[in-house]
Amino acid sequence: MKKILFALAICYSIIAVSQNKQVLYNWDVSPQSLLLNPGAVVDQKHHYGIPFLSGFHINGGTSGVTVFDIFSDDGRDINDKIAEALTALDSNDFFTATQQLELINFGWRSKSDYYFSGGIYQEFDFISYLPKDFLDLAREGNRDYIGRAYNFDHISLRADLLTVYHFGFNKKVTDKLTLGLRFKAYSSMISASSTGNTGTFTTTQNDGTPNIYEHTVEGLNVEVKTSGYASLKDVDGSSQIVSDVLGRAFFGGNLGLGFDFGATYEITNQLSATASILDIGTIFHSSATEIYNASGNYTLDGLELLFPTIENGETTFPYYSDLEDEIEREIPVDTLNSAYSQMRPAKINAGLHYDFGESIGRKSGDCDCRNMGGKSQHVSQAGIQYYSVFRPKGIQAAGTVYYRRRFSNWLSTKATYTVDSYSASNIGLGMALNIGSLNFHLAADNLLDIANIAKANSLSLQFGFNIIVEEL
Amino acid sequence: MMKYPQILLVIFLSSIVTSCFQNTDFDQANDVVITPVVELDLIYFDIDASQFYDVETNTPNLVVRDTTAIEFIDGNDIRDALVRAEFLFDFTNSIPSNFSVNFDFLNTNNEVRYSSFTQVNAGSASLPVETIYIDNVENEEIENLTSSNKVVISVTIPSSSSSLFGTLNLKSKATYYLEID
Repeated sequence: MKKILFALAICYSIIAVSQNKQVLYNWDVSPQSLLLNPGAVVDQKHHYGIPFLSGFHINGGTSGVTVFDIFSDDGRDINDKIAEALTALDSNDFFTATQQLELINFGWRSKSDYYFSGGIYQEFDFISYLPKDFLDLAREGNRDYIGRAYNFDHISLRADLLTVYHFGFNKKVTDKLTLGLRFKAYSSMISASSTGNTGTFTTTQNDGTPNIYEHTVEGLNVEVKTSGYASLKDVDGSSQIVSDVLGRAFFGGNLGLGFDFGATYEITNQLSATASILDIGTIFHSSATEIYNASGNYTLDGLELLFPTIENGETTFPYYSDLEDEIEREIPVDTLNSAYSQMRPAKINAGLHYDFGESIGRKSGDCDCRNMGGKSQHVSQAGIQYYSVFRPKGIQAAGTVYYRRRFSNWLSTKATYTVDSYSASNIGLGMALNIGSLNFHLAADNLLDIANIAKANSLSLQFGFNIIVEEL
Repeated sequence: MMKYPQILLVIFLSSIVTSCFQNTDFDQANDVVITPVVELDLIYFDIDASQFYDVETNTPNLVVRDTTAIEFIDGNDIRDALVRAEFLFDFTNSIPSNFSVNFDFLNTNNEVRYSSFTQVNAGSASLPVETIYIDNVENEEIENLTSSNKVVISVTIPSSSSSLFGTLNLKSKATYYLEID
């Protein structure tokens, strides 16, 4: 119990809107910008990610409460602090954790001026909404809440561990418009979810009922879908589990397909608009699936004794096992091995970007052949960005204003200020260093809290090493 | 002398490197305890007065008895968590006789581990009488209660006849005071 609460508290203490990479979006210093917008403007000739180091992203967060709220060393009883925090939270509060590790990333410009790019990355994505009603029930019991309906729809969570293989192309189709499309193949290693649950549990006290209370489960339909888990239950030893799971990373798992689409439109010399939609896709879970479903209606009145006349050697009715059988009949719990499909959480990015300040990048007189009629490049850019992700209980959205500046050929920076439903104090900062062809980027957000992560609702960190070969 | 961008770089990198959890005490997790108070229906019955007299043999049947398993109360988990249990028995008697009622909690070897006893007042068909009995179980009795897995209810009438009418009704609930750490 303690461990669970501790883990919950830790998780609840870290983000806001997960997978928002507001610092790296529309920042051409890193090949990662092509993963955030396949239609980003690309200038380089080719790029190679340094295997396993080209891109790492970690992000975690919680709405409404921080680690500090619970674990601050303030002499107060932790149970009071938990109670206080839970009072302020509702079932739309959530915690998330996301991690991505790029294994391979590469790209090159073809003779026909397409920029092709591809790679493999591993992703872990987790979201759980606060199961408020059942935390309340577990913490306080039902005695003081006779008549309260505890909602099963408060149980909503999803976890995925998968590998993504992607290949895309990018083309400047007119002087002003760049489009990009990326195809993705997903290989799911482990997936578990419980969403769209319905039903209530209520204890009521009314006249005319057989016993003091009626404990009623009404309209129950709770489902937990798992894939990649069932086959691990019989496996001995962690090393075997690890090798089984890793095997699925390489197309051994449940497969899925998806795509990303993006565009950049250069409205004027200095103003451009970008948009992308990522992970429009589905994973088809067909092997090693296990679906647990409980559904039905039931009212429990307790055990009714009938006081039958017992002759010698006879026993009375098996009230208790009859009751158990009745509950199992009315609320059957089924385990199915059927296939199911699951949409990936789609993400939308959009931005409006304004370049200003000193022009850069080319010696006077050079032909800007790749940029005929396009936007000029300046040391500074400011703009606004929008991000949203589709989650089990709806869209989570965030808005960002930013300023980025190139200080020299080797250093660029970008600062962001992001507002979402849960935090209005998220300052992010990114830096990109170019040492010859070697590119290193580092980005983090919630910098106001970085001195004490415990106080942050969310945190994300991205870094990577790539080799970028500029246009000759 | 460092220029502005280099200073920024140093501040940014050093803040990430030195970033940590401050003024927090994660050992507090050991102090987390939850104390739910759960109320659940227990047993209920209606015993007709005729059950206290055997018309076939014309003999009084002074003790009526029934047994049910209550396996949910038996076990280490509940033993560790249960601080106190309170049983509330709500009798409504329309039989013009008082009763004594025994609740005997037995373990798997049918040894009595915990017992409780109450008197139920006589009532009448026109004016049923309610008797509420609350039995509080705590301290070392919890150990006895939670090593039981069935309960025997014995309802004893002082005397009986074929002319006895009415019903003895019981509704009951249990309040479990739990402490889970």
